[in-house]
Amino acid sequence: MTMQPSAAQIAVSMTGISKRFGPVQALHDADLQVARGTIHGLVGQNGAGKSTIIKVLAGILKPDSGTISVNGDTVGNLTPSSVERLGVHFIHQDRLLVPTATVGEAVFLRHELGFGPFVSRRSMSRRAAELLKRYFDLELPAGILVQDLTTAQQKIVQITRALAQKASVLVLDEPTAALVKREVDSLFAVLRRLRNDGIAVIFISHYMQEIEQLCDRVTVMRNGTDVGTVDPAQTPIDEIIAMMIARDVGEMFPKRSVEIGAPVLEVSHLGMAGSFEDISFSVRRGEIVGLTGLLGSGAKEIVQCLFGLDRAERGSVKVEGKRLSLSTPVHAVQGGIAMLPEDRRAHGVAIDLSVRENISLASLGRYSGSGFVKRRQENQAIDGLIRELSIKTPGRDTLVRQLSGGNQQKVAIAKWLSCQSRVYILDEPTVAVDVGAKVEIYNLLNRLAGEGAAILLLSSDLLELVGVCDRVLVVYRGRLAGEFSGAELDGDRLLAASSGARVAKAEVSS
Amino acid sequence: MSVSQETSASGAQRLGGFIASYSVVITFLAICLFFAVASPTFLTGANLYNVLVNNVVMLAIVALGLTIVISSGGIDLSVGVSVDMASMVFVMLLAAGYGGVFGVTVGLLAAVAVGVLNAILITRLKISPFLATLGVLFIGQSTQQLATSGGQPIYLITGYAGDQFNAIARTSLFGVPTPVLVLIACIVVVYLLLHRSVFGRAVQAMGAQPGVAWYSGLAVPRQQSLVYIGCALLCGITGILLSATVKSYVPLSGNAFLLDAIGATFIGTTLSAERRPTVIGTLLGVLLLAVVKNGLLLIGWNFYWQQVGIGVLVFLVLAVSFGLRRARQ
Repeated sequence: MTMQPSAAQIAVSMTGISKRFGPVQALHDADLQVARGTIHGLVGQNGAGKSTIIKVLAGILKPDSGTISVNGDTVGNLTPSSVERLGVHFIHQDRLLVPTATVGEAVFLRHELGFGPFVSRRSMSRRAAELLKRYFDLELPAGILVQDLTTAQQKIVQITRALAQKASVLVLDEPTAALVKREVDSLFAVLRRLRNDGIAVIFISHYMQEIEQLCDRVTVMRNGTDVGTVDPAQTPIDEIIAMMIARDVGEMFPKRSVEIGAPVLEVSHLGMAGSFEDISFSVRRGEIVGLTGLLGSGAKEIVQCLFGLDRAERGSVKVEGKRLSLSTPVHAVQGGIAMLPEDRRAHGVAIDLSVRENISLASLGRYSGSGFVKRRQENQAIDGLIRELSIKTPGRDTLVRQLSGGNQQKVAIAKWLSCQSRVYILDEPTVAVDVGAKVEIYNLLNRLAGEGAAILLLSSDLLELVGVCDRVLVVYRGRLAGEFSGAELDGDRLLAASSGARVAKAEVSS
Repeated sequence: MSVSQETSASGAQRLGGFIASYSVVITFLAICLFFAVASPTFLTGANLYNVLVNNVVMLAIVALGLTIVISSGGIDLSVGVSVDMASMVFVMLLAAGYGGVFGVTVGLLAAVAVGVLNAILITRLKISPFLATLGVLFIGQSTQQLATSGGQPIYLITGYAGDQFNAIARTSLFGVPTPVLVLIACIVVVYLLLHRSVFGRAVQAMGAQPGVAWYSGLAVPRQQSLVYIGCALLCGITGILLSATVKSYVPLSGNAFLLDAIGATFIGTTLSAERRPTVIGTLLGVLLLAVVKNGLLLIGWNFYWQQVGIGVLVFLVLAVSFGLRRARQ
């Protein structure tokens, strides 16, 4: 099943790579061979070793053993800058741009344009604008700072930087996680063009469709080693997934039967000028309600207001019949609303705090008396939650930084379980989460609903909405454009309603 | 990799980890040993008392305040102003014949006012802590010069005021000098607040990731205000002790604490695996700086060379600790 490209074609060769962190063997005798002029997929569950092997290649981590060669030359002692000199460029999952740089400065970081020691911001800006236009057909306001760009735009600036440096190997870690369809398409077109120019592209993704669509080869990793390299065109996706998890996926979306009760969250006539108007809906006990809409439709802004991050100008929000004044998240949390934010690292978990400190952060009142934390009580509750959610951590005092993405997300959820919230708002909870962890999160949602929580799921993954939700609300241009449930709840109808197409059936029924 | 190699590697790692974590303690002990040998006076009771009361207490209280601020992810450059304001108001009130208790209370309130100003600038006007407290530092320095005809010190050596000062700085309880008792009280309070209380958790969360604190429903602006007000209050206590010790108010004298306190706090972060500021770490940092200053003085180095010595030392502690940590990863 394993295909070996001939030696001359090989751009990157990693053999026998091992790396251990304390008790955890992150990589064990892992191999990766990537040929020039191919797009090479790298898949595996979180914790399978994808990120670790990429960090080894990037010179961020030193392997305990193994050899690496780039374009035929064996290289020892890689550092991030020596790797870049070899023509290997990385688009890491976390945004790694200087937030206060202009786009021009970001694209030409460490390769500034100018005259002698002087840097010409103007020519960098102009050149960056040309590159962005040429590769992505993207025009950004002149002089805009990186921190003011969307996640998608930042990703594009990073890729543009690699292109400007004439990369011979381009490594992309989950590049499409934050991109919309149009941006994904243009990214893929660029990658194909680069491949045809002889560049080796290593593409890490959780999206199997993308792997199938884009990659010439795919290496599957499991438990810190490679379990096979296959041609995705000739290997069914099911088989690749089976290689990843070594067990049957079974039902991706677990079935459930929950008795749906009285309304818990009641939103009426909520409005905010320029974002959304006249939004009314309710979420009942045990119910999972989806909320979806394209970027800028107002769906995101609605949940921001429900958690007090933005202030709605009109309308009211009630939780269990009690009207909340939502001017800050403090009120929302006190009112029993929990929020699982989209940007986990900025808002979900503090990676430099321990698992314990993160989980009890929103519910310190429960574990304290006269202002002091009762550690015994806290420890018991935290250990209970770690067991209950099967969070994989050496202990409660481990820093969250050391956990995998899926387990970090579980810590973020545990924080609200500890708080005994009534309403859970989840903002894209399964973005950049592997298949196994996704199923766990869905199971968790079902369990929460089963215990009587009301769940509002903001998602742009239509399959997920159809698979998980009892009901889905679609926002289009700031208004509720449709509500789908039961047999009417399918991906085509959701897509049509989100993009403003009139759906006869939905109109009739609502 | 064979088993024996692994165990020896992890043994070396453990040793490295130990040195990385306790580099401050090791350096402190080594330096004490060095001065004990190099100077016959270093280990005498009189000298140690002098180090404790004159070099440690006041700096430690300011550093405790900064430890809270730095834990919250902020910085307070105006600690000197808080020290001076308490000192100035206290001394002026005594000079005007007011009672000691009244003078101390109003002096502390003057320091708190500086903290309130910082809090308003940072939480209401959303100015970054660095710039807000830098602005307050400038304003506070000028205010003192305006209030003292361009920086004239106020000396109250004898008489009523002198007695009040002595009551604070020259008394002791069960043989422990009053300033040391004040320090112990401050240590206990700050330790409980920062490491045992709900407030401390909020402060640590703000310092680690402010967005997460906000999204967890913590009242971040209120906690942040308390942080700066608490720091200013601690500085005010130092201001009172300072004027009582030197029986005077010398304008702008509080600034001397700023860099040492920041240095002590950051030296202290090497004690924690997560490199967070801790009360114990900060105290060790203060002790280290105080002992080095005193010891270099005793072996005859002048003031300027003392500064060089401290600079090298800080560098050494940080380099050893961080270098070993990095090697372990």
